[in-house]
Amino acid sequence: MISKIMARGLSRRTFLKSTAITAASAALPSMSLAAGEPIKIGFLAPLTGAVAAWGKPGLDGCQIWAERVNAAGGIELSDGKHPVEFISYDNEYDPAKARTGATKLIREDGVSFIMMLGGDTWPGVQPVADKTGMLFSTLLPSDLSPDSTTLLAPAEVHPIYLVTGVDYLADTYPDAKTAVICAQDDALGLPSVATYLAAFEARGIDVVEEPLLFDPATTDFAPIVTRLMASNPDIICLDTCYSDYVHPICEQLFQQGYAGKLISATADFYDQMIAKTSKEFMEGFIFQFPDFDDPALAGDNVNFEDAGGFYQTYAERHPGEWGAVSWEYASIMDLWKAAAEKAGSADPEAVITAMKEGGTGKHAFGDAVWWGTELFGIDNALVGDWPVVVIEDGKAVIKGFKSIPDWYDQHGDLLIKHMQAYNQMYDQRG
Amino acid sequence: MLDLLAQTGLNAVYAASYISLVAVGLVLIFGVMGVINFAHGELFMAGSYVVVAVYADMHMPFFLAVVVGLIFVGCLGLLMERALFRPLRDNPLGGLVASIGFLMILQALASIGFGVRMEFIPPVTQHVIWLSDSVSIPLARVYVIVAAILLLSALWYFLKRTRFGWALRASAQDPQAAELQGISIAHTARIAMFIGAGLAGIAGALTAPLISVNPHMGHSVIVTAFIVIIVGGVGSLEGAIIASVAYAFVHTFVTTFYGGVIADITGLMLMLIVLIVKPTGLFGSADRA
Repeated sequence: MISKIMARGLSRRTFLKSTAITAASAALPSMSLAAGEPIKIGFLAPLTGAVAAWGKPGLDGCQIWAERVNAAGGIELSDGKHPVEFISYDNEYDPAKARTGATKLIREDGVSFIMMLGGDTWPGVQPVADKTGMLFSTLLPSDLSPDSTTLLAPAEVHPIYLVTGVDYLADTYPDAKTAVICAQDDALGLPSVATYLAAFEARGIDVVEEPLLFDPATTDFAPIVTRLMASNPDIICLDTCYSDYVHPICEQLFQQGYAGKLISATADFYDQMIAKTSKEFMEGFIFQFPDFDDPALAGDNVNFEDAGGFYQTYAERHPGEWGAVSWEYASIMDLWKAAAEKAGSADPEAVITAMKEGGTGKHAFGDAVWWGTELFGIDNALVGDWPVVVIEDGKAVIKGFKSIPDWYDQHGDLLIKHMQAYNQMYDQRG
Repeated sequence: MLDLLAQTGLNAVYAASYISLVAVGLVLIFGVMGVINFAHGELFMAGSYVVVAVYADMHMPFFLAVVVGLIFVGCLGLLMERALFRPLRDNPLGGLVASIGFLMILQALASIGFGVRMEFIPPVTQHVIWLSDSVSIPLARVYVIVAAILLLSALWYFLKRTRFGWALRASAQDPQAAELQGISIAHTARIAMFIGAGLAGIAGALTAPLISVNPHMGHSVIVTAFIVIIVGGVGSLEGAIIASVAYAFVHTFVTTFYGGVIADITGLMLMLIVLIVKPTGLFGSADRA
């Protein structure tokens, strides 16, 4: 029967998409909650596998967030207070498993909101989101498109915030005029390459070699580092790489005698990088993700509540595991909670309306605007200030917050130019 | 430019060292058992995790951890021989499928035992040997090169100069004739599995402080090993070593001068060309292929 349908012109893709939509929508539960009933939030991210480092620490952070919220009485909707409960599904960074997970979370668990890492897994979930109207969040705004109005990027506007690190570098080290970039050759690395190219061009820093792309299956980084150092650059940019790559690349740079500046999106577990190199070598390393015990996060401009206490609890429960995403999903929950309380409902449509009301929102690092039409075709990314973090004396220190929209107002054309060159604009992605 | 060539050459020598250890082990198992061991990359991974447990977690000496890695992974090989390959001796496809299952079990055990994140292993030494102002090799990489030379030399001596080695080669060439001569096929299979797995284990153990150790690290290693043994000739130990060196040099130089992605494509092209021109591989014989 199926083969007959297929023979009449129904593509396999369309068939799978329709099946997923039907399965999800047929059993979509009512979003109304009984008084005191827990609000269930779906956590659909890689918890095992190579990308688990950008899923599991986020779930750990969410559990702490839930404990704090529940201890304070829960989330107050129009019918009273509700405790919050996270239901996780390990999608192993696989689109098909992500689709199964989204369907299960909606149909069987009755979640009100689903948080994802996004990236390669989003195309698997998109048909389910489009049909059911479920509210989803992603950490990777490159998933955003005008086709999916219920997908938000409220925490991390990867990779646009990278421009703030380059701005800091150019301001602090005006003599650094040449750079090289290495990047993993995938959906994570390429938009970052385009962003760094735009940021370097905006500050007159010459990228002296074509960005060196490597296969994510690479194990020996010595040849790559030899190539990076061959042109004797003032700056080596590690782009957005998994920590599995950042660490061995830094170790190789140290062993091959590199003495210039280093900039990277992340430096997860930087204490281990210092142990493998030296405190002197890592001094001045620029990246974008702070430790939340940083005094700068106690300022009035920061909306993440009790960042220091959150970090302390996290460090006690999961020693040595603090990473880039440990706080991000929790910060999304801050936004969701505020919007749900404002709407008085956990209904996805009501929450998204409340969240985007007035075109502004309270991002973890300060007040921000819903933004992104030019880059993503839809204003579903919450963008404001982003911190620049530097390793000083073996510890990550926030050196300041810089405005992403301000940079974009001045240099947006450069970013679009390089994004287009790497086929990373929303209307170029397949 | 000369310095760049020299540095790239040193990088290639290191790569050839650990690739040849893995590939020779894989060839040895195939030669004697007639089984493509898809779990070989995970045996490499197991060797790395022994270093995590013994050296990083228990703070025992690194070289003790390496020896434990060799023995532990060798014993894993014995377990595979007894539980998987012996019952499926007459069914090479069954052995292959069983090895894929074992691969998944090892990955799952590593995830359960150590977590999914990259493991931190303190550097064994930070000493770097400088050959000129811009050409250097870390001492930890020299350890891998020296160990590979010693182990492969010892294996050559074992196979060519000892009775066990002769028995192993006889079993690989013609199992039935070897059995008629009184050679125990089961015994030689155990020796081959122990040595083959142990070589993967020690390669993983020696390189553990230099790479990212995680439950999925075996994948890229097994892909490289398969390319190497196909180029060298499935079943040929000499071919595996020569192909390892050739692959490592081609891959390393192409990575340095043209990029990592092009290097991967070049490696696969090398394999395809060899398959077209000489389907048995550079040193393989028709009956083995």
